[in-house]
Amino acid sequence: MHKMKERQPRWSLLQRRTSLVAALFVPIVLALVLPGCAVKFIGDYDETIDKGVTDVQQRAELYFSRLQSTPNMPYDQNFYDDMNSRLAVSKSRAASLPKYPIIVEQLANLKAQFDTFQKLDKSSPRPFPGVAVTDAESAIAVSVESILKLELALKRGAPPPPAITQ
Amino acid sequence: MALNVATLASRMLGAALPILKKDARDAESFAKLEFTKIAQTIVAIGEQVVSGQINEQQAGLLLAMQTSASRNVFLTLQGLALLAVEAAINAALNVVRSAVNTALGFALIA
Repeated sequence: MHKMKERQPRWSLLQRRTSLVAALFVPIVLALVLPGCAVKFIGDYDETIDKGVTDVQQRAELYFSRLQSTPNMPYDQNFYDDMNSRLAVSKSRAASLPKYPIIVEQLANLKAQFDTFQKLDKSSPRPFPGVAVTDAESAIAVSVESILKLELALKRGAPPPPAITQ
Repeated sequence: MALNVATLASRMLGAALPILKKDARDAESFAKLEFTKIAQTIVAIGEQVVSGQINEQQAGLLLAMQTSASRNVFLTLQGLALLAVEAAINAALNVVRSAVNTALGFALIA
């Protein structure tokens, strides 16, 4: 009797963990598959948003370069009006796309960064500190890279477009 | 043909886990790169205040911009996680589609 007990297979921690994952995973997958199609939790790549965010970064980089090279340059309201309108357009587009709340929030954060830099730019005496430009530029670059990283990932491994041949 | 839960689960996990592991590594390298940049800038802001290059009010505004940048990194990680789970589930379904549909006699998994 004792020997028989010893012959019973003893599950390792890994086996138990795997079967637990399987027990949880299979019902979740089956529940999701009932509608009968592939699951999708987040929207698709959008070229207009990709280009819009890249364009905003290019214009911001130009303004930062001018501020670095000409620290006595006066505050320029036109730059902020331009950024606000471009970001508002991108955000409206993102809001209209299905399953896009993450990118909508990211665009709102990017807009908040420009609003904060506007306060800094407006309230700072000239010459404008070059180090502040570098710090702001870095923060905006991180946001833009984050948005573009996610946006490109939304292509879901699609092959790159064919090369243009002449 | 009867369906065996353990076999199906094993095949599904076999298809899903490599995707989850690979995507987790990609997300980690992205997060490491971006958080390093943010940390470097936060340190620089502190040093700039100490050296008198910027004042405390300016430092506060620059820090707020870093906070927004951190939020955007987290949001990207959230999006990448959704994509990873989505890809893992779809891979798990693909690998058992034929066996399930054949056993049932109709296309449960399209």
